[in-house]
Amino acid sequence: MTVSMLGGLLMSALLLWTPLALAALGGLLHRVSGVVNIGLEGQMLTGALVGAVVSGATGDWALGVLAAGAAGGLIGLLMSLCITRLGANEIIAGLGFTIVLSGLIGYLLRSVFDVSGTLRVAGLDPLPRILGLDPLFWLTIIFVPLIGWSLRNTVAGLRLRATGDGFDAANALGLPANGIRDIAGTLAGVFAGIAGSHLVLGQVGLFNENMVAGRGFIALAAFYFGRARPLPTALACLLFAVFDAAQARLQTAGVPAQLIQTLPYVVVIAVLTATAVRGVRGRVRRAG
Amino acid sequence: MSVCPRSNPDKYSRVLTSGFRAVVPFVIALVIGGAVLLATGHNPLAFYQLLVRESFGGTDRIAATLSAATPLLFTGLATAIAFRAGVFNVGVEGGFVLGGLTGATVALHAGLLAGCVAGALAGVLVSALPAWLKARWNVDEVVTTLMSNFVVAGLTGWLVTAFLQAKGVANSATPLIPRSAWLPDLLPPYGLTSGVLIALVLVMLYAVWIKHSVLGYELRQTGLNPRFSAAQGIRVGRVIIVSMLISGAIAGLGGAAHALGVVHRFVDGFSPGYGFTGIAVALLGRNSAVGVVLGAVLFGALASAGTTAQLFSDIPLDIVDVLSGTVMVFAVIRLWRQR
Repeated sequence: MTVSMLGGLLMSALLLWTPLALAALGGLLHRVSGVVNIGLEGQMLTGALVGAVVSGATGDWALGVLAAGAAGGLIGLLMSLCITRLGANEIIAGLGFTIVLSGLIGYLLRSVFDVSGTLRVAGLDPLPRILGLDPLFWLTIIFVPLIGWSLRNTVAGLRLRATGDGFDAANALGLPANGIRDIAGTLAGVFAGIAGSHLVLGQVGLFNENMVAGRGFIALAAFYFGRARPLPTALACLLFAVFDAAQARLQTAGVPAQLIQTLPYVVVIAVLTATAVRGVRGRVRRAG
Repeated sequence: MSVCPRSNPDKYSRVLTSGFRAVVPFVIALVIGGAVLLATGHNPLAFYQLLVRESFGGTDRIAATLSAATPLLFTGLATAIAFRAGVFNVGVEGGFVLGGLTGATVALHAGLLAGCVAGALAGVLVSALPAWLKARWNVDEVVTTLMSNFVVAGLTGWLVTAFLQAKGVANSATPLIPRSAWLPDLLPPYGLTSGVLIALVLVMLYAVWIKHSVLGYELRQTGLNPRFSAAQGIRVGRVIIVSMLISGAIAGLGGAAHALGVVHRFVDGFSPGYGFTGIAVALLGRNSAVGVVLGAVLFGALASAGTTAQLFSDIPLDIVDVLSGTVMVFAVIRLWRQR
């Protein structure tokens, strides 16, 4: 493998990394507040569609990204309200929202936009390049240490962690624990929505109803793998992005793409098992 | 939902409440779906009328509804059994898909019965690892079963393209199963297979078993309160594993029945989310036998009527996903409040 091939691989991996890492950071915030967000997939899809339409209508990529974040945030808030106020199970609510959103988007594509599955938006304004990469990439690069620092050193970060670590204790101390979870859920939606817009504006240039293709679940895998810490989570996303970018190249070397695609999911099962085994062993040791 | 009047007033009110609880999420879904239809310039009432006519208006339509309900009976029952034991198995989709591939492949060489058995075993295989991890190490089964769906999807896709691909077929599909190994049709012109009978028998067995067997009792107790059950001497780990393995077997058998009865081969993308709709079926039916049947028929009716309604009106089938996803979200809201 030559240097230029490696460079090409790295560049495409970084391109694929941005949406994964953005969505994973959003899911991470929600996870830190104590909720597992299975709805990232649907929120990304919504962000992708809204980003494409608004960017096309206004001719401005920034407005497209903002609108995608707003749409994702609205859905994140609705989902969070179902979980915090109505007591819905977070897993079912996440799956249900993803099913509703993909159904709704498929419905809108066919009945309003009158296309089957793929929407080409006229006048779509793609993301510009800064130092060879798009602004959302740089934004994500800044977010990783920023979120890590904020979680450790700010009041908001402390409250978020307190809500996740001891929901009842946080409530008893007078923190609006449900409200904090709603904020985290909204933020998760904003991040996932922006991540979705990157798929359209930063990568493909058109919208397809299957374009998220499990990335929301891979983001979930990433923050599980990174145990809800920003840097390990971002690195896990990089690992998955490299797998994704290397797929085509590995396939010519005889490694089937379908198996590479299952790697993130296998990794999550392994990580969860390792964590649980260590937890049980630790408890036994303390007890003995 | 039909409410059968009984002489016993307590029983009557209980049936009424559970019926009411099942109707509420469905009504909310119809309202939200109606809002979507209105906003896009369609008449929701006319569409819902069309749906009802297309699902129950005539023998052929009823047969189509039952045919669409069959995979959901399997996946709904598989989900309900695990949920009843308090195990949150969302991996039925994976069991269904691997069961379909295994069933289709084995039936190709060894016939109908072997295909069904192999499908069920494949389903057991999918659920075995999350079950053991949950019982032995208390690994969160929700995430492991969810992830196993994606692993199975990749694995079956690879197996089909690498080894089992039929010659001369453009998409990833296994060879057509010989007619002798097909599940027989019930109503020959209408394409309703005997898979629906297998599913209904299983649901009836479940109804009796969960109420009147020791293991069924242990399963219900574990679902209600695992710590109390453990204190009572119920081996909770064993109950969890058994419920997951049965759940997997039914999911796998469902996949095999779908392959041998309807598709007559395995195709990549074989299940349009039957496992996930099965979750909605189980939740709406509150994990009871009658509830699973009603839920499966309801969602089956939506799917079959949605397909034909698409032909008569310009309303895309996707509206059905909006309805079933909404039912799912709101069904759990009621469920978890109740607990």
